Amino acid sequence: MTFGNIWPKRKRAIAAFAVGISLMTAALLTPQSAWAEDKLIIGQTFLTNGLDPSEGSVGWTLVTHGIGEQLFSVSKQGKIEPNLAETAIENSDGTWTITLADNRFFSDGTPVTAKMVAAGFNRTGQTNPSARSTSGLLSFHAVDERTLKVHSEKPTKILPSILAEWAFPVYMEKDGEFIFTGPFAVESLTADKSIDLVPNPHYENAENRPELTIRRIPDGQSLALAFASGELDLAFNLPVESLSMFAGDKAKQVKSFPVAYQYMMWMNTSSDVLQDVRVRKAIDMAINREDLVAAARAGSVATGAFSQTYPFAAEKELPLDVNKANALLDEAGWIKGEDGVRRKNGQPMQLVLWAYPQRPDLITFQPVIRAALAGLGISVKTQVTESPTDIAKSGAYDLFLWAQHTAPAGDPAQFLSLFLETDAANNYARWSNAEYDAVIEQLRAEGDTDVRAELARKAQDIIATEAPVSFLVTPEWHVGVSVHLKNYEPWGSDYYIIRPDLQVSK
Amino acid sequence: MAMLTVTRIVTLTFLSWLAVVTVSFFVLRLVPGDPVDIYINQMNINASGDVKALYRAAWGLDRSVIQQYGIWLFGFLTLNWGDSFVLGKPVLSILSAGLRWSAAIGITGFALALITGFCLGYAAALRPRRIADKLSRALAVGGQSLPAFAVGLILLWVLAVKLQIIRPFSGGNVENLLLPILLVAFFSTGSISRITRAAFNEVAAAPYMRTAVAKGHSQASALWFHGRRHAVIVLMAGIAPDLAWIVGGTAVSEVVFAVPGLSERLIAAVTTRDYPVLQSYLAIIAFWIVVGLQLAGALRRHLDPRLREAL
Repeated sequence: MTFGNIWPKRKRAIAAFAVGISLMTAALLTPQSAWAEDKLIIGQTFLTNGLDPSEGSVGWTLVTHGIGEQLFSVSKQGKIEPNLAETAIENSDGTWTITLADNRFFSDGTPVTAKMVAAGFNRTGQTNPSARSTSGLLSFHAVDERTLKVHSEKPTKILPSILAEWAFPVYMEKDGEFIFTGPFAVESLTADKSIDLVPNPHYENAENRPELTIRRIPDGQSLALAFASGELDLAFNLPVESLSMFAGDKAKQVKSFPVAYQYMMWMNTSSDVLQDVRVRKAIDMAINREDLVAAARAGSVATGAFSQTYPFAAEKELPLDVNKANALLDEAGWIKGEDGVRRKNGQPMQLVLWAYPQRPDLITFQPVIRAALAGLGISVKTQVTESPTDIAKSGAYDLFLWAQHTAPAGDPAQFLSLFLETDAANNYARWSNAEYDAVIEQLRAEGDTDVRAELARKAQDIIATEAPVSFLVTPEWHVGVSVHLKNYEPWGSDYYIIRPDLQVSK
Repeated sequence: MAMLTVTRIVTLTFLSWLAVVTVSFFVLRLVPGDPVDIYINQMNINASGDVKALYRAAWGLDRSVIQQYGIWLFGFLTLNWGDSFVLGKPVLSILSAGLRWSAAIGITGFALALITGFCLGYAAALRPRRIADKLSRALAVGGQSLPAFAVGLILLWVLAVKLQIIRPFSGGNVENLLLPILLVAFFSTGSISRITRAAFNEVAAAPYMRTAVAKGHSQASALWFHGRRHAVIVLMAGIAPDLAWIVGGTAVSEVVFAVPGLSERLIAAVTTRDYPVLQSYLAIIAFWIVVGLQLAGALRRHLDPRLREAL
């Protein structure tokens, strides 16, 4: 090769590069089918990874995507309502009889029968531990076409609520494929990326529903930019800091709604300082919950363990009274010194307040609470951990900011029992109260929903009096909608995002 | 002799890989956070001790850590990588589905960076302190100092939101992959161009360059013909850190542009302590880096006979 013949080669390379760039530009500018007007695109931070409801948390994603449905579901008002079931009656021997609703079909047109429901549920129960969490293993037997008999390993008064848990979407297996009853049916699934849905032709009002693509966008900021660019018709759970981007944009609306992931603060009742109920009450009374809402830039003041959307939520406002808080601390022997710090037996009042970054709002709350408690004369050191359960279980904390879905299946007993009953598995506050335990025992044995709601409120009153935990804020999430979905109303946290009423606005 | 050399290289490569995956396996178990507790909290499961025990047994966490290591290593080598704790699906299928996306971004982005960085480095060496040299320096400084996440979001903001010339989330695969590839390329081009520039500069100062120019050849052609082989050898030695960066760069690209790749899955697995996914991912990445370094070394030896003799 000589020096002179390199230029033709270089020219050829440049020409090839130019052709490549041209082809890429052409590809970019070619309209894609995904932009078809009759197909809506939903952006979410999560997506189902498969269609087998017995695998991992697939059951939850199927229901939230509008593909699967349960026998019972939680309504917008937080009540358990029949869905594919018509009634559920507890028998005298502790078993339950469930009658299925008439004229319900799988997306291939097969009628929903008790035999199919039982086969699916028994399979899920055998393979997925989450289906055994509340009442042990549930066994389903078809009595006739529309009647199921259910036996639970542990007695339960709330079978409808258990069947509203995410582990129980109704399905049938046919030729190795899973078929569901929801308002949308699966057309194609690209793992971790997107799922294409078509209206289930055998679901009421199918003709009014659009075709959908659910696109997974795991980062909140990217989700907001995708919505801002007009690529999405619905963006679920936009970060609060992105909302100003859409102010004044007539083509886009942001709808905020309360969610059941209640923010709270555990108080370690086994710690030297916090074992005194007067100290715990003082701390609870000194926190201005409105300040926390302002810091998070969304949400509402909590009244108790549950969001106000639930019928069993506490009704009374939790008190804010700094003077009374100071008086309680004085009474408990914690006297404010000249340096503004309270002391007892020469020991300064110092507490460690933990939070975890998986819920950024909790980190935001730390300085607000520290300032409020400094005003009382309590010195607070803040700490952050990536493993909140380890710290909470170990008891190596004083105060712990926490987020928890307190009624995932529309029933109050789970949270009140699992987190606050004496020696309960998640009793992070290490609290024990005989009166409270008795109320929870009554709650467990009660089947009437109104009485259950009353008992749940009574339990919350006891918590408010003893303050093993301080309920702080009911957070809000934010959903962006384009003009195509301007009538969409979000509710139900992340359990029911795509519902039968998702229709294109005229 | 050649056979012995190949055997030694393969053995060393395997032992290096084994050391990395063994250490990472035990380090992962030391990271605080119980996968069962995390999963139960995340999924709002009303779990008693019985249910937690069921999960532990189902996930193999009821065995000793040594037993878990043995089972995992044997499974990995026999292509049975276990099931993801969170997704309940085989890890092999999860990672192989993500691998094609990550490979598309990582390899294409790196190849783009190699081509543009090499050309830019050559131009920078040819005309010091001119535009190519300044651009090369700016890219190197930018690549070292700018946060990849922020650059990705700015790309989205400008190209998708303001100019609306690309649809990275709802468009076809080309549109999905273009920005992630550019992001990976952006963060490697600068360093590649500076390494290339330095290598060409060494050649430009050599006495034989004056002879070549005196024969009537231009500075550009003389530098190209006498310097390119040397530049490639130097570059092969210098890009080893960039092989590791491809992994990091791909993770950011995948998260920002919602590409369902391998690294994006890793971030979710770290949060949930999904050990089967994490372990297999680390094993793949260790394999990628160890083999990549060996291939780079082999290429250098192929290009430079002195290195072959030294082996």
